[in-house]
Amino acid sequence: MRKRGIIMMITVFILSIVLSACGSSSDSKTITFWTPLTGDDGAYMDQLVKEYNATNPEIQVKHVITADMYTKISTVLNSGKGVPDLAIIHADRVPGFVKQGVLEQIDSAIAGHPEIKEENYLPQAWATGNIDGTQYTVPLDIHSNTMYYNKDLLKQYDVEYFLDDDIVTIDEMLSLQGKLDEGDYVVNDALLGWVILAQIQNLGGAIEENGQPAVNTPVMKQAFEEVKRIADAGLMTPFGEDGYLMFQSGNVLFSTDGTWSSTAHAAVEGLNFGVTNIYSTTADKFTNRASSHLFAMLKNDKRSDEKEAGIGAFLEFIRQNSIEWAKAGQIVASKEVIESPDYSQYMQSFFTSNEKEVESLYIYTYEYYPYVAEAVDTYCADIVRGNVDLDETLQTMQKFVEDKIAESSKAEAN
Amino acid sequence: MRKKSFAPVFFVGPHLVLFLIFILIPTIYGIYASFTKWNLMNDPQWIGVANYKTILFDTTSTFHAQFFNGLTNTFIFVAISVPLLIVIPLLVAVSLEHRKVNLKGIIQAIIYIPGLISISAAALIWLLLFNKQLGIAGNIFHSQVAWPATQPYAWIIIFVITVWGGVGGNMIIYRASIAGVSKDLYEAAEMDGAGANRKFFSITLPSIRFPLIYTFVMTTAGAFNVFGQPLMMTDGGPRQTTHVLMMYIRQLAFGHGESIAGMASAMAVLLGMVILVISALQYYVMNRNANE
Repeated sequence: MRKRGIIMMITVFILSIVLSACGSSSDSKTITFWTPLTGDDGAYMDQLVKEYNATNPEIQVKHVITADMYTKISTVLNSGKGVPDLAIIHADRVPGFVKQGVLEQIDSAIAGHPEIKEENYLPQAWATGNIDGTQYTVPLDIHSNTMYYNKDLLKQYDVEYFLDDDIVTIDEMLSLQGKLDEGDYVVNDALLGWVILAQIQNLGGAIEENGQPAVNTPVMKQAFEEVKRIADAGLMTPFGEDGYLMFQSGNVLFSTDGTWSSTAHAAVEGLNFGVTNIYSTTADKFTNRASSHLFAMLKNDKRSDEKEAGIGAFLEFIRQNSIEWAKAGQIVASKEVIESPDYSQYMQSFFTSNEKEVESLYIYTYEYYPYVAEAVDTYCADIVRGNVDLDETLQTMQKFVEDKIAESSKAEAN
Repeated sequence: MRKKSFAPVFFVGPHLVLFLIFILIPTIYGIYASFTKWNLMNDPQWIGVANYKTILFDTTSTFHAQFFNGLTNTFIFVAISVPLLIVIPLLVAVSLEHRKVNLKGIIQAIIYIPGLISISAAALIWLLLFNKQLGIAGNIFHSQVAWPATQPYAWIIIFVITVWGGVGGNMIIYRASIAGVSKDLYEAAEMDGAGANRKFFSITLPSIRFPLIYTFVMTTAGAFNVFGQPLMMTDGGPRQTTHVLMMYIRQLAFGHGESIAGMASAMAVLLGMVILVISALQYYVMNRNANE
């Protein structure tokens, strides 16, 4: 009997330890900070947090890299337990989160820091967190679609003049038809969906008309047709091939990937590359489709005023010191950082080198942009390669977005 | 027996608790969610069988098209991968029993290890192998095809990585079962003049029928839940011909933008029902044949 009692006690003891580990620690002296930043990005953010904690703030920040963060956010918000004090979310999440009422206004946290204001950040990065006049987020960066070019190949084909006006047009690219060595290509198809979304802006279109999603539109059709011209001319890396690797192996003149890829390209021996804007349908306008990492506070009644003040202090530190973040290849949102001399050594400083460049960084803010982007991403490769009928697929895409909106808006009406 | 013994509770209890928390309650909640509109954030809103109606009968709906395309592709995967994952491990296991085969342990380890490697890492390596420019497919075998983007090659690379990673598990089960078959039977058969084939079909197969049923049912259920291989190898392409149902379910619930978890749950429940029916049928048919 006694033995049984001991076993029972041991079991209860172990269970209580195991289960208590599942619960959230409500440490009032730590700001729990969730980010979806995996890989190198996470390491750079770790370093920033470490530097902040080294300043001995009243409340320390604990950085928790959370793969699958948005799923976990919905879980903790539902249960009300373990909600992080601060999180980094993407720009396209803001409208939906605000509508669902899961974001706190950021004003209460930044109240004691007058320098955290619109004028001190890249305008679109700040504005993307502003819904109906209320500020919900403070931006960390803009990360954008960009076009890298292989300097040696441009020279070899004598087309360095493409870069003169900072706009490489589709017509310029087509001028290389029939002039390339076998195995060489003008451009790859990395982040092709983002390239299409940039052309929508270049052609003066929109993805929303009168509150409705606008996918099956003449502008969308034209955007696809223009990009398809490059593929039809055999100048785009072959369908199904890894165009990103082909750029790194020196067979492609232009690569349309992201600001963050500059570090990976730099690690390739012998790759002599530079950065410019995404190619355009017209010589008059260029657009780089972008997104932004934003600091936000999820709804949490238990967040104390002291913690909010601590969050404000951390955001002010980031505003002044996020040059570390530039190492990750991102366009830092704080003007103090991008105007500092050190920042110019980073390749992405190209995108803040003048007003026009800053304006070219376009963040879609339509509430249902994620569905539109998903439709474009799902179908763009097959459209551009001519595997499917364009008109029919545009109808399918429009329906795809409408069906998803219908489902989600019914859930919201609840 | 004055006092009741608690010992069984201690043995069964932990499993029961874990089963309740991580399997039974989520399953019931998942079934409940399939009758709702839910974005994971707000409270689920009861809508009856509307999700099922849309998925099964609304031919104009995106979800209807996704479900049937996903289910068709999943069936293709199951129909081809399951026989491969039963027959190949069985052949390997039987071959390893041969007297003249040396280094059995090492061969077994080599075949088993791929199953321990993460599917993402393995997929990157296999994609490079099949890469037209950089891989052996193009450079040694002079293949001019972009494998992940051309059918039927897209399916072929999915099956290659599936078989490569999946053979080991079943092989171990078969080897263990074959080792348990009495040697007397084989000796008696040899005395009666039975050849290798006769011994395989008349002794080995009947002796390991329960492991066979088990692996057949489990491999089939696993194959219906296929997700990683097509996601990593082809991302569902070309033209969504390798886009399996689990990929659609995950995209709806945890994809871009607001979650459509109710519809995703309904698809998951339907997939679960398909797996349940097919597993039950398999078990019934195989068990009946085995008892005849």
